Amino acid sequence: MPNATQGAAQAERNGTEPPRPSRTLRQLTLLMAAVLLLGVGWTAATLLSNRVPGEESAEAGFARDMSRHHAQAVEMAMIVYAKGQDPALRQIGYDMALTQQAQIGHMQRWLQEWELLPTGSRPAMEWMPDAVPVGPDGLMPGMATREEITQLHESQGAEVDQLFIKLMIDHHLGGIHMADGLLEVSDRPEVVRLAEASKQAQQKEINELRKLGLADG
Amino acid sequence: MSISTPGGPERRPTVVSTGKKPAAGRPAAGAKATGAKAGPGKSGSAQRTGGGKGPRKPITPVKVSQGRSWGPIALFVAVGVLATSIVGFGAWATFKGSQSWQDKAAGIDGIVNYREIDPDGISYESHQSGKIEYKYSPPVGGAHNNAWQRCLGDVYDAPIAAEHAVHSMEHGAVWLTYRPDLPPADVEKLAGVIRGNDFMLMSPYEGLDAAVSLQAWGYQLKVDSADDPRITEFTTTLAQNASIEPGVPCSSGNYTTGTGTEPRELAPPTGG
Repeated sequence: MPNATQGAAQAERNGTEPPRPSRTLRQLTLLMAAVLLLGVGWTAATLLSNRVPGEESAEAGFARDMSRHHAQAVEMAMIVYAKGQDPALRQIGYDMALTQQAQIGHMQRWLQEWELLPTGSRPAMEWMPDAVPVGPDGLMPGMATREEITQLHESQGAEVDQLFIKLMIDHHLGGIHMADGLLEVSDRPEVVRLAEASKQAQQKEINELRKLGLADG
Repeated sequence: MSISTPGGPERRPTVVSTGKKPAAGRPAAGAKATGAKAGPGKSGSAQRTGGGKGPRKPITPVKVSQGRSWGPIALFVAVGVLATSIVGFGAWATFKGSQSWQDKAAGIDGIVNYREIDPDGISYESHQSGKIEYKYSPPVGGAHNNAWQRCLGDVYDAPIAAEHAVHSMEHGAVWLTYRPDLPPADVEKLAGVIRGNDFMLMSPYEGLDAAVSLQAWGYQLKVDSADDPRITEFTTTLAQNASIEPGVPCSSGNYTTGTGTEPRELAPPTGG
């Protein structure tokens, strides 16, 4: 069979156009072209799929800022868990603290995977679509001031419940606002999923807190 | 013996299939000669398509005499370059790997890594109450009180108890200390680095031998100016990363926010 190919090639060569490459060569050329295309495609696909959010991405901003936002919620939730009067409120506090602390863990893990540091080089909330300004104290929307946190620490009895409800509703509204900001600009699955989940949970908790606030107040 | 045997069985089939006499080195030499005439980059394929058949050989030289087909050559080169760059990129990525925070920390000029040079100097048995003697000043680890100093970007304007700050560092905090006689403008600059960042705190420190000293668990960096860019490098690289209890919070729990170097016992349970 090699003789067949060879014969054809020879016939061709003996024909009119001597510089023409042999059929084998042409086939090889086509094959190589295919390999080249595949190679380029594969490289492009690999580079694209390996791309992770960068230092100034919305995803990194969200992971960092929501971690800190959550951290304060955990603190408040632990206070109400420890000394809230209404058992339902203590239950909410317990739930919130564990959930949000776990979510902080998720977000920190992303940053590690993306090879980014937990602390950003840009001001907080700068990544938000509407670039929310953050005060010199670094408090993001919804966060309680130092004084309010101290007040919550020092409060006693029914005052704990009322103060917690007020602070946490504001805090959650800020959290939902941040999650919305992320959802507006990101399509990274794990981040979108957490933003959506936390937004829904916080919306429900706001409803719950309002109800308890009315009942207790 | 062991050197000559591996080649043997491989050579044999060639000899058998060609059905010719050539001994060990000969066929290779012959193929090489043909390949060289066929032009660079094609010797391999020419040889392969030849399949060791006799009549094939004369054809190749004829082809060559008619000049090169530059298209295919360019394509071969392109594929070669692509293959090399893919392999090269992979090798480079593997070699570079991910730079860990430890690598980044090691890259900070002047940083002292006590985890490496004096692990015993920062080890401890258990939480301890009251005053504790520290080997280094400011301390970079070791025994500490139950309560930690709140480290949610807290800027303390008076010295704090190291017994609490060391606990904060165990949780991953970077503790920035500065000489109390630093100009207020410098202190404000430093506060700008710390404020609002979780896992960071700062306070003046009596008897400091540098303008600014930064501490994380097992790490220290002393600099002479509040403008030194290594300050931010240190804080961002080590905050939270340097925790030896990963995942533990800095901002909530049984922390203290008081100043004064006298350690405090745990606050009584907060009410109800």
